[in-house]
Amino acid sequence: MTSIDTTAPKLRRRRRSYSHAARVGGAIFISLLFLFPVFWMVLTSFKSQVDIFTTPPKLFFDATWATYIEYFTRADIPDRLLNTVIVATGAGILSIVVGTLSGYALARIRLRGAATFGVLILMSRGVPPIALAVPMFLVARNMGLTDKHITLIFAYCTFLIPYVMWLMRSFFVSLPKELEESAMIDGCSRFGAFFKIIVPISMPGILSTLIFSIILAWEELLFALVLTSRDAVTIPVAIAGIAGDTETGANWAALTAVGTVTVIPVVIFALLVQKWLIQGLADGATKG
Amino acid sequence: MSTLDINNVRKAYGAVQVIHGITLNIQDGEFVALVGPSGCGKSTLLRMIAGLEEVTAGDIAIGDRDVTDLPPKARDIAMVFQNYALYPHMTVRDNMGFALKQRRTPKAEIQERVADAARILGLEDLLGRKPRALSGGQRQRVAMGRAIVRNPNVFLFDEPLSNLDAKLRVQMRSEIKELHQRLRTTTVYVTHDQIEAMTLADRVVVMNGGVIEQEGPPLELYDHPKSVFVAAFIGSPPMNFFEGSIENATVLRLDDGTKLQLPKPDPKGRERITMGVRPEHFELADAGWPATVSVVEATGSETQITARIAGKLIRVLVRGRTDVKAGENIHLTVNPDLIHMFDPAPIPDVALEEDH
Ligand SMILES: Nc1ncnc2c1ncn2[C@@H]1O[C@H](COP(=O)(O)OP(=O)(O)OP(=O)(O)O)[C@@H](O)[C@H]1O
Ligand SMILES: [Mg+2]
Repeated sequence: MTSIDTTAPKLRRRRRSYSHAARVGGAIFISLLFLFPVFWMVLTSFKSQVDIFTTPPKLFFDATWATYIEYFTRADIPDRLLNTVIVATGAGILSIVVGTLSGYALARIRLRGAATFGVLILMSRGVPPIALAVPMFLVARNMGLTDKHITLIFAYCTFLIPYVMWLMRSFFVSLPKELEESAMIDGCSRFGAFFKIIVPISMPGILSTLIFSIILAWEELLFALVLTSRDAVTIPVAIAGIAGDTETGANWAALTAVGTVTVIPVVIFALLVQKWLIQGLADGATKG
Repeated sequence: MSTLDINNVRKAYGAVQVIHGITLNIQDGEFVALVGPSGCGKSTLLRMIAGLEEVTAGDIAIGDRDVTDLPPKARDIAMVFQNYALYPHMTVRDNMGFALKQRRTPKAEIQERVADAARILGLEDLLGRKPRALSGGQRQRVAMGRAIVRNPNVFLFDEPLSNLDAKLRVQMRSEIKELHQRLRTTTVYVTHDQIEAMTLADRVVVMNGGVIEQEGPPLELYDHPKSVFVAAFIGSPPMNFFEGSIENATVLRLDDGTKLQLPKPDPKGRERITMGVRPEHFELADAGWPATVSVVEATGSETQITARIAGKLIRVLVRGRTDVKAGENIHLTVNPDLIHMFDPAPIPDVALEEDH
């Protein structure tokens, strides 16, 4: 009996470590599945044209910066990158400001119909973007606003603001209202309490939401395609142009090089968000 | 420091009225406790005093100033919340100094006043910490510290001790009392713990369903409760009640037919009354109301006997020890001055709640 007693836990532990290994293995497999295209894209971007189409594909080759140099010294690509930066940060910042304030109002201010209003805004997200893109184009054209940064920024706000608003609303709801009440007794107005107490506490949430918004705007294609033509064209549109080049065929090296440069900030931002989110949770902002 | 006058204040949420006209004049330096069952409007009244809740009708004055329509920050009050509401991103020092900073008090003075308050509350070693690194009792103390550095006209407390364990609660209770004796700041203290109210307050206000049921010094409420509600609420363990009809002036006939001889007639000559006797006012005797003992619990200093009179459970508290045993038949008498007679009324749940 005693021998069974001593081996049983060991067995169990071994079994548990097997299943642990299986889970880690599974996770690695799935990650590879997702990361492989990215890896291949980065790899391809460093190949010269002759190395790209070899069969079997080459893993080792003479890496070259040629494509990068060619495309990022060309007139259009750096401009488009700059456009993307302007539009994405502009839309991100505008939507975080408006969305945070309205999310706070929805969370705290007792207003008749506030809940209905909130749900309506949320439902507006259910409208497929394609249904908005064309009317937006018509409106922009009538107002003489096509192919301008500000137009894209506003267009992006139509889907970013509801998203920010709802995220921030649920964040604010989780904070005890006594925090602001205490601040108001301590000498703040409602706005003062919001900016001095609530905003600092919510910083991790606000920053993560901001970065998510920037990422969403950064990689948006449809609105950019419809609303821009020359001056305000963004990188996703440029990529689509390279991929769909009917005269010379897709330039794979160019496509992957531009793609890599587009993806890198997104990856960095996503990692940052993760760190902030974890830190925000560890701060236990709602407790105390 | 200041007087606080609440004049016929009402509060309605939409069509639902929750405070039905409360008038309360609190003197400079007085400690008033608001007690009452859950939902009776204690917090609502306190929040109206603080300016966190709009007043539907009536007015509130602090000192000679009508503050009814002033925002919280203009009222010069400090409030301690049940969940403390410490600012999580600030150190204890900044939490305590926040209100002074809002008033643009010079830095040196803030330092000095925070240090003073920290000394009084024993928080000197914690000044650099964030709230999440504090225990429940320490957070409570910081919340108090934040209130006292202000040196406000009025302190408002909303069940400040209810998140603490029993032992800490007793300790903080005496600290609050000591603090009040030292600072003499006008205080309104909401609690549903009648012991807290009795031990802390100069005056206890018993609320019930949005009105004041009775107010007065703690012992006056204990000695002369005006209604079954107050009698049930004040005192621990709670009063025993017997409802029945009066026969021949001094016999109380309970509804099951049992007759209890009253030591005195009802001064108001009612036909039907609820009679009340506090557990500690029963005396064991050779003759009197017959009762059967069901449980005897001795703590050394006193003995609590649970017994039945005509099937109804009652509690008897005798000082010291007794040799009464479970199952025994005993007789109980009451000093005529210590018997209470009320208009018949249902006994509120609070009387059944065991004290913590
Ligand atoms: N925002 C509100 N809207 C509608 N009714 C409310 C609101 N706030 C409070 N009430 C109602 O007002 C009444 C009094 O509430 P209040 O919080 O003052 O009770 P309380 O005496 O403090 O109770 P407790 O001991 O549980 O804290 C309750 O019936 C409550 O449901
Ligand atoms: Mg309350």
